[in-house]
This record gives sequence, structure tokens and C-alpha cells, in this order.
Amino acid sequence: MGLLTIIKKVKQKEKEMRLLMVGLDNAGKTTIVKRINGEDTSTISPTLGFNIKTMQYKNFRLNIWDVGGQKTLRAYWRNYYEQTDGMIWVVDSSDLRRLDDCRAELHGLLKEEKLAGASLLIFANKQDITGALRPEQIAKVLQLDLMDGSRHWKIVGCSAVGGDGLLTGFDWIVSDIGTRIFMHE
Amino acid sequence: MAATKVAAAKVVPLNCVAPEQVLALKEPTKGFLCPLSANIYGIDFTEFEVKDCDSGEVVFSIRKDPTGPAMPSAPLDLDPELEAQFRTIQYTFPASFLRFKTVRTALTFRVGPEPLSNFRMIERHYFKNKLTRSYDFNFGFVIPNSTNSWESIYDMPKLTEAQVREMVDCPYESRSDSFYFVNDELVMHNKAEYAFEL
Repeated sequence: MGLLTIIKKVKQKEKEMRLLMVGLDNAGKTTIVKRINGEDTSTISPTLGFNIKTMQYKNFRLNIWDVGGQKTLRAYWRNYYEQTDGMIWVVDSSDLRRLDDCRAELHGLLKEEKLAGASLLIFANKQDITGALRPEQIAKVLQLDLMDGSRHWKIVGCSAVGGDGLLTGFDWIVSDIGTRIFMHE
Repeated sequence: MAATKVAAAKVVPLNCVAPEQVLALKEPTKGFLCPLSANIYGIDFTEFEVKDCDSGEVVFSIRKDPTGPAMPSAPLDLDPELEAQFRTIQYTFPASFLRFKTVRTALTFRVGPEPLSNFRMIERHYFKNKLTRSYDFNFGFVIPNSTNSWESIYDMPKLTEAQVREMVDCPYESRSDSFYFVNDELVMHNKAEYAFEL
């Protein structure tokens, strides 16, 4: 009976997932996290550090690390790679001017050894804005076909403000990590 | 043989309080395990909110003027009694808090120009000097001059009506010690006392 309790405890602990949210500044990372958690998204200011949020999602406890995307902060991203199960890369699909910058930062991230095993969800955000590129177009501009074949990834169009696409994205990354990490249950 | 032993011993500075030590505490500390001046990183809490996860009911919320001075100006030669008051926060929560299943806490803090590595918080909660809960969270790295937020959810222990009544009847017998470490070195220690009102 004692052993059973121990096993159960270990499993409960295992049900935690660490997600890293990154992307250029003003991509909508914090808005996505607040929106998925059912919070007010009308007053969000630029993240000048990190926002950590724990939330219950299906049977998992998600620890979401949303790190600021301003240029001066990007050099610090690498401090948050450790133990990351999944990363969510958020793109402002209407900011065409900075898509090259966005691609360079993403491919830099993909070279990181500590993130090699992490599932990757790309949110093509701001689909509600006229002139925004569709997810397929974003995939092309970001050259996602150049990614290592072993990477689990998916691109999903979304609108953080309206909420469209967010559940599709989160459902995918949570179940992808779930089957990868907790498949022995 | 003796020489090998000495070489293997870990060199720790005197009066150094390690995370393992506070994790072994079974009752509130008598005083504070580090001076106010140990906070060399300018860690400053600016917002704190406690609410019920299910209903969203806010039981406590405080927000400092974000443009105000980074640190409360406590003189370094503070009278020990005054210092204890300054470092002990008294909270009054509605008694309904004790029946919440899950509690959400949100904390915002900023830091000064030095980066923090391995920033960790350990909080020990007591009722009538008996340990009731313990939390341990590792923030890891903190970016210099950053403002950061941390929102967490906690499952609350299920209390009987008799236990709830006892906690309501004994204001400030519910206490906690919060310890903050940077690289396993204690940089902050605060206390809190709680009363529950019907």
C-alpha cells in the first residue's frame, strides 16, 4: 500500500508540463496565455521579464513561461530552455516587415540542444487583422520545411483577441507532449 | 586520511542558511534568518493577489505605485521590534478562504541591475506552531531590471468544520515564513500572520 501511494505521487508530479512561450515583442504571447485562462485581455502591457502561470488544462498542470520578446530580452531566453517540454512560438501574422527577423530568431531557437526534444507549436496569431498572412503562408515564409525531420511541430492560425484557434493549438501540444512523456501509464 | 576529509568538506560561509535547513523547519522561526540588507538584488514585490480559483472571488489584493521608489526606505539601524513589524504582514481573509478547493495567487516583483540565478522561494505554513503546508518554487533565472509575474494554483487541504472554526477563533495563530534564495543563499525572509473573519 505504501508503494502504491509513492507511485501515485510520482505520477501526479509527472502530470506537469513546462511550456515556453516565445516570439518577437508584440506577437501576442501574454494575450494568448490570458485568453486561454479566461482573463481580461484589454489591458496588457509589454512583458519586461517573464510571466509564469500555472493552470489546469484537461488532466495536466501546465507551467507556462511567457518571456518578453523585446530585442534586449531575447539574449536571456536561453536561461529558460531547461526542462522545457513544449515551446509555443507566436507570430504576428500581420507584421510583414518583421517576418525575416522572426524567421531568424525561430531558427536560432531550433538549433538549441536543450530544446531538441521539445514539441513546437507555432501560433500564426492576429488572423483577425486584414492583410494578415494565412498559416500556410507563414509556414512558407518561416521556412518550416527546413526543420529537422524528428521535430514534432504544428502551425495553427489564431486570434488571441477573439480566441479562435487557441484551443486547437493547446489541445495539440498538450496531447503531443502527453503521448511522448506519459505514454507508459 | 584526515587531509582527504578536510578537502572533501564543502566550504560554506558562516551563518549561511541553506534551502535544506528551512525545508526541515517544523515551527515558525523565532526571528529572521537574514538581515534586510541581505537583499542585495533589490527584489521588490509590487503586486499580490489571492483569489478562489473556482469562483474568482478576490480575498486579498494589493498594488504598489509602480513609479514609486524601488525599495521601501527602511533605515538599516531599525529597532529590532520595529523591524519585526516591518517584516511581518498581517492578513485578514474571509473565512470562506478556508473552504476554497483551489487558490490562485499572483505575485509581481521587480529586480535591480544584477541578474539573479536560481531564484527560489520556500514558504512554510503553520497553525498553532505546527507545520501544515510547505511550498517550494524555483523561478530559475531573473533578467536584470525586469518586472516579472508569477501566478500559481494550490490545492487547499480539506478542513473539517471544527478545524475551520478553530482557525477563525484563533486569529494570527496561522503563520507563514517566506524564504527567498538566490544561488542557495538566503536573501530575504518575511513573515505573515493570518486572521479569518466570518
